[in-house]
Amino acid sequence: MAQVHFRSHDLRIEVEKGSSLLDAARRGRIRLDAPCNGAGTCGKCKVRLDDDARDAARIVASDKLSEADRRDGFVLLCTTLVEGDLALDMPVGAEHGLKILEHGQQIDLPLAPWIGKRHRPELNATEVLSGADVIAQEPGDTTPYSYGLAIDIGSTTIVASLIDLGTGSRVGSASALNPQAHHAQDVLSRIKLGSTPEGLALLAGEVIGEINRLIGELVAEARIPRRRIYEAVIAGNTCMLHLAAKVDPEPLGRYPYTPTLTGDRHLSSRALGLAISKSGLVYVPPIVSGFVGADITAGMLSASLAEAKGVTLFVDIGTNGEMVLARDGHLQATSTAAGPAFEGMNIACGMRAAQGAIERVSLEGGDVSVQTIGDAPAVGLCGSGLLDAIAELAVHGVIESSGRFTKNRGALPPGLQARFGERDGKPVFHLTETVFLSQGDIRQVQLAKGAVRAGIDVLLRRNGLIAAQVDRALIAGSFGYHLTVRSLLDIGLFPPEFDGKAEYVGNTSQTGAEALLTHAPSRESLARLVRAVEAVELANDDAFTKVFVAAMAFPRPNRPELEAVA
Amino acid sequence: MSADQEELFERLATAVFELDEALAAKLSQEVLDRGYDAWNAVEHGLLAGVNRAGKLFDEEEYFVPELLIAADAMYAGLAILRPHIKGHDSGFNRKVVIGVVQGDTHDIGKNLVRIMLEVAGFEVHDLGRDVPPRKFVEAAIALKADVIALSTLMTTTMERMGEVVSILEAEQVRNRFKVIVGGSPLSQQFSDRIGADGYAPKAAQAVELTKRLVGLVNAA
Repeated sequence: MAQVHFRSHDLRIEVEKGSSLLDAARRGRIRLDAPCNGAGTCGKCKVRLDDDARDAARIVASDKLSEADRRDGFVLLCTTLVEGDLALDMPVGAEHGLKILEHGQQIDLPLAPWIGKRHRPELNATEVLSGADVIAQEPGDTTPYSYGLAIDIGSTTIVASLIDLGTGSRVGSASALNPQAHHAQDVLSRIKLGSTPEGLALLAGEVIGEINRLIGELVAEARIPRRRIYEAVIAGNTCMLHLAAKVDPEPLGRYPYTPTLTGDRHLSSRALGLAISKSGLVYVPPIVSGFVGADITAGMLSASLAEAKGVTLFVDIGTNGEMVLARDGHLQATSTAAGPAFEGMNIACGMRAAQGAIERVSLEGGDVSVQTIGDAPAVGLCGSGLLDAIAELAVHGVIESSGRFTKNRGALPPGLQARFGERDGKPVFHLTETVFLSQGDIRQVQLAKGAVRAGIDVLLRRNGLIAAQVDRALIAGSFGYHLTVRSLLDIGLFPPEFDGKAEYVGNTSQTGAEALLTHAPSRESLARLVRAVEAVELANDDAFTKVFVAAMAFPRPNRPELEAVA
Repeated sequence: MSADQEELFERLATAVFELDEALAAKLSQEVLDRGYDAWNAVEHGLLAGVNRAGKLFDEEEYFVPELLIAADAMYAGLAILRPHIKGHDSGFNRKVVIGVVQGDTHDIGKNLVRIMLEVAGFEVHDLGRDVPPRKFVEAAIALKADVIALSTLMTTTMERMGEVVSILEAEQVRNRFKVIVGGSPLSQQFSDRIGADGYAPKAAQAVELTKRLVGLVNAA
């Protein structure tokens, strides 16, 4: 055995010799990004070792580290094997809190929960009702005590709120990272892992365990017993719901991505292992397709898309850009594979939205200024900072409409010219001394924003609409909330015609779940609405590649009207 | 080749390289009007243009859009010139069967590789996307292909590639074909594990790999 001392966390972990530092960090429950799950391919678990530590380790070379990194003593946790006792500091960002958006746009609905209570004085008991059915009997009069949970399981974060079903008010809310990400970062990797019985048990156990921990926090805070929680509404993307309900996600990983679970179902809390009342229920909202899940349908309710007059476009910007086009009550939904660039993945200096992440960038006045989370020294770029940075580069002509660094650097203000540097023989643009953007980073963002924009353009086109005819563009999801409409327009993720029409609706998956919890009649109306939703498969649209190619371009500097869309 | 002819082919190459589809079509028509050899125009004009675009793509100067638009310009010219090409010899006659494996419909990466293989002189048969493993084998046998090229973007469908190799073995035709694989979730280790003959991380490298595997390392 050997001991690994994480100085930064004051933590000593014993591991078998030959274990990787990543294993040691995980054993110590230090949270950090390792999207490739230790395969040595993402380069995100970079850490600096001093000479003593290097002597006590076997370092397997990785091409994910640049020459400069290697010279500076950096290694990857996952490809560094422990040979003897050693000590190290973990990078800034490990185990820091993330920004999680818990709530979204609310709708006003009367209180009408699915769970009811009926006091029977003659029995000196209270019946717990699921709709009209009695599901439990409690001694005494417990009618004032009835609670429910609204839960949103995202691929990255989980949000849970505790609702008093007697008043409809939110008693508390809590959030956490989805621990499944430790085992497999992206949705497809989770589908693959979850396609084996052991993998499914692991992923289900992880997410339910974390939800139970959140429930523990909420009931402790509210000082109520868990057994008084009778129902949980769980929204989330299709894959997350399959995994939470222990349903084999394998069909979601291949065309035509048909879900096994279709939602609008009551399951028993016991079957899921949810630590609430033993006779409790779990309601899963309706699911449209493999890539348009209950997070989006809950959002349809929360954003009142069925009632919206005119043309409304609802967009959830994330790893998958899901979107719904609502036209006087007729809804079409689709999803585009934006990839992980918006989460700062596959980006040289990318990181999650944690302490020290650059979240705002400005090139005004001929120089670069940045703002970081917590005003800490800049250590990397989170998704919103990345989009902001690239929007500014496009607006100020540092990158051309094609996405390439300008060939005409001489035309830029001297302050911007001085920001160019070189990394492994290729040009980069420095936002700070240590945080930079590479040409490859810009390409990743082009693919991501191009995918979302292409989805928007194809949906509009199929309906014979042009961007100017859209009355409202609603931006949902916690990632979108951290973006500015300006940067969405400036990188061309939104067409210029959306200027002045875009608004944030927040985490509508969560608020939609709350609405379904406190207003049961919405379940039936939403299910009816979802049955009529047309799911559009972009890959089957002949024009998709052409539209996608056009959508990868950036608007020309300061003149968005010149943007050419095929 | 006359100077006028050379100058026209050069303009044709530039039209493709500069992504001007309409001009590429117009100049291809001009080639025919002047009675120049259609194949020479394809080789020294259209293909030379896409090749230059491919080089810039490799250097990260051009990206997916530029390469696909350059290819569109090439195809526009090819549509005009092709009927007038008299028998020619590209120096080799090797066939590739290419497609996206079953369960996956993402085909932009596969299309890039197809274009670059075509430009390099291979005869490419594109089976499209969501292609069942057996169909790759049947097509390769029927066409007497040299190479089977498999593509996927998704982690969840990459195992289908191994099935193609297994079927080739079961049919006892494994040694008739070289199998190459590509796509963002793949790696050399994966390729080795499933018993493929090669993996390339990028489209341009797929061409080099293919040439090497069919013994054309030094061929143009």
